[in-house]
Amino acid sequence: MTEEIIMPGEQIADKPLRLSYGYIENEKTYSTVLGLKRDDKVIPLKGPYEARFGDYIIGAVSDVKFSGYNIEMNTAYSAFLPDRLIREKLDFGDIIFAKVMNINEVKDIDLGQVRVLKKGEILKVLPVKIPRIIGRDNSMITLIRDATECSIFVGKNGFIWISEKGNINLAVSAIRKIAREAHTAGLTDKMEKYLKENSDIKDLKENSDIKEDLKENNN
Amino acid sequence: MEKVELFKNGKRHDGRNIEDLRKVKIKAHVLNDADGSAYLEWGNNKIIVGVYGPKECIPRHLSNPYGARIKCIYNMSPFSSPGEHGRSGPSRRSKELSMVIGQVFENVIKTENFPKAAIEIFVDILQGDGGTRCAAITAASVALADAGIPMKDMVSALAVGKVSGTVVVDLDYVEDSQGQSDCAIAFSRRNKDVLLLQMEGDMSKEDMKKAFELALLAEEELHKLQVDALKEVYLNVKEREIFVDI
Repeated sequence: MTEEIIMPGEQIADKPLRLSYGYIENEKTYSTVLGLKRDDKVIPLKGPYEARFGDYIIGAVSDVKFSGYNIEMNTAYSAFLPDRLIREKLDFGDIIFAKVMNINEVKDIDLGQVRVLKKGEILKVLPVKIPRIIGRDNSMITLIRDATECSIFVGKNGFIWISEKGNINLAVSAIRKIAREAHTAGLTDKMEKYLKENSDIKDLKENSDIKEDLKENNN
Repeated sequence: MEKVELFKNGKRHDGRNIEDLRKVKIKAHVLNDADGSAYLEWGNNKIIVGVYGPKECIPRHLSNPYGARIKCIYNMSPFSSPGEHGRSGPSRRSKELSMVIGQVFENVIKTENFPKAAIEIFVDILQGDGGTRCAAITAASVALADAGIPMKDMVSALAVGKVSGTVVVDLDYVEDSQGQSDCAIAFSRRNKDVLLLQMEGDMSKEDMKKAFELALLAEEELHKLQVDALKEVYLNVKEREIFVDI
């Protein structure tokens, strides 16, 4: 696989292609982001989350309105969740997992298929790393779920929710490892090995990876 | 200020040729808490740029349903130059430059992807020595690319002008204040679209033509430095560790 870094405005292909991180001018396709070029595609290395129809997201209730809730979801836009779609009453700060049911041209987002998440922890990663964390046909996330016995929900907007039950520390360190090495090949095999080797991690401080993370944060 | 001889024996007062840029050094991703950032040293100019966004546009009435609003704040530190000694906050000049830099990036950022939102560019001049608006645009372009904000193109800018009757590239403070003319130009990378053109003083049509040719040559060099700065951060796998958000 050829991998080269591409800058905004550099040519991807000399034919018009509809890409989410490209634009067409004079029958040619150019990149709009800093990313890695693989064949005729661009994989962004960083960037904001852009909501799309059908995305599953994790958000927090940021406002309680007369007929529903405003959901804060790590974007410039807040989503709306009508309260007729859920039985229980939500409160400010509650965490939900939901699907983007409708999104219009000014990015008013309507949510549906809600699930309220309780007793867990939230992890934040860059939204561009999420496809790698999920893996092809959910392969990667299933791997982590099986190894850690946590229930894990991944939002396309960069939030990951992990249940308190199960080996939460291993799940957190595994997800961070994927986010860090998101652009390397053969990651599923590597993670399989990593999860097997570190299955006995109980204490957060025992894990060298997390220690490094903490060190980076302190600097 | 004492008068210096600006042009002598084909060399400028600091020993450069007419087409030479000052020494430029760019570093991308220097701030942890900004979405994108860049630090630039251009001769004696020292500039730091932080980019945030897209985020909610506040105040709401300034938001635009057709695209994101680009907010730029150009600020000179109180210690940045003799003229700024001890003063702080916005001035007539910094207000103008904020507007001008914002307008340059309105042309290249895909604002239509983020209706009603705002993208914020904060430019801080730590030390100024002529040509700060050009340096700010060059650095801001790197910071925007680092933030992953969709852009149609990269931008780089530089000043051309006339000192002692000669057309020169990249004027420093002395040449700027004692020369005949100073003209800031911003180019988009691919089509070489002119996104900014501001001139003080006067230049003939022929001089302007020559200035443009020289500017285009220097632009190549600047763009290469911008790309190198970004590649240095993103190409190295080890360096990518810093992009894990906690």
